[in-house]
Amino acid sequence: MESWVEIVSAIFIYIGVIFLVISSVGIIRLPDFYIRMSAITKAATLGIGFIVTGITIYFNEVVIMNKSITIILFMLLTSPVAAHVIARAAFRNRVLFWEKTIIEEFKPYLKEHGAMPETNVDKADLPGKKQ
Amino acid sequence: MNAFHISLIVAISVISICLIMVMIRFFKGPTLPDRVTAFDLFSANIIGITAIYAVLTDNTSVMDVAIILSLISFLGAMSFAYYLNK
Amino acid sequence: MKTFIVHFLLSITFTSLFFRMVEVPYHALSAALTFLAAFFVLWLCIFFFNRSYFKKIPLVVSFFFYFLKELIVASLKVAYDIITPIHYMKPGVIALPLDANTDAEITILANLISLTPGTLSIDVSEDKKILYVHAIYIIDGDIERLKMEIKNGFEKKLLAITR
Repeated sequence: MESWVEIVSAIFIYIGVIFLVISSVGIIRLPDFYIRMSAITKAATLGIGFIVTGITIYFNEVVIMNKSITIILFMLLTSPVAAHVIARAAFRNRVLFWEKTIIEEFKPYLKEHGAMPETNVDKADLPGKKQ
Repeated sequence: MNAFHISLIVAISVISICLIMVMIRFFKGPTLPDRVTAFDLFSANIIGITAIYAVLTDNTSVMDVAIILSLISFLGAMSFAYYLNK
Repeated sequence: MKTFIVHFLLSITFTSLFFRMVEVPYHALSAALTFLAAFFVLWLCIFFFNRSYFKKIPLVVSFFFYFLKELIVASLKVAYDIITPIHYMKPGVIALPLDANTDAEITILANLISLTPGTLSIDVSEDKKILYVHAIYIIDGDIERLKMEIKNGFEKKLLAITR
């Protein structure tokens, strides 16, 4: 017989695993670098947060709680900074936007920085594009 | 070996399948930023595996590895972005 | 901010003193509850010294829960889009005019926008007036509505705290 602690922590861990699975499927399926960037890395952060919370509930020790809070805080601080930096580096290196992307408001900025990507992406890289 | 441990092993196997899916994007990715993103998600998955492994073996010091991995993934992404900006 | 640091450290000190004095099992749950109780009691005491700080703490807590709700709702939306075979997304880059002036406000706002799944802050213009945000779900191509959502949601609540 499991105690309720194990059941609750298993539920939390599985919610986290589901978020990780969704983000890993998304990194294959989503059509464009910017969409992947904005959709994926944060889902992974949320998944790790849930897993670590489940572990804290299971161990129920203060040391583990402090380590979990450290991990969650660190992920929350670093993941947007990394996403921002990589996205900025990407459009300066002319990584293409998806063809349906609305970039009217972004065009003057792109012209100013001499990085003007087109919105056509290589067709072979769009698995679920047909509608 | 009770049901809780078996469910943890199942969770670790599911995340391992996720690692394979991320590797597909890593090899396929048309540009370098795609690969950096894949690397970020890869290390996130490994942090998850490490954290679950700490429960599985009842060894709480494994959590330190997870902290350091989260730091190293950030540093890796930052250095790649720096290299791209040059 | 300085008041918050002092408040936080005092709460931690009271928690550790409590576990030195009283024989209570030292678990994560009991420690967290004691910390929250100490934090709450100190917050009540601050009413007599620093009235503006007293009013800000409930705003911060409600902002935290609002952010958590937004995070989970947006994650579920993106997850639904990933699992189902058709992509419903209409991506676009919007130019968000900023009301936030200082660097700290802009940094916090950009990080919060980046942290929500579905939106990604790409860059700030040189005069710090415009934030370029890449958003996935632009409903019917209506850019103004999305801008108003972000301005009335995150930015308004954030500026209520920092000012």
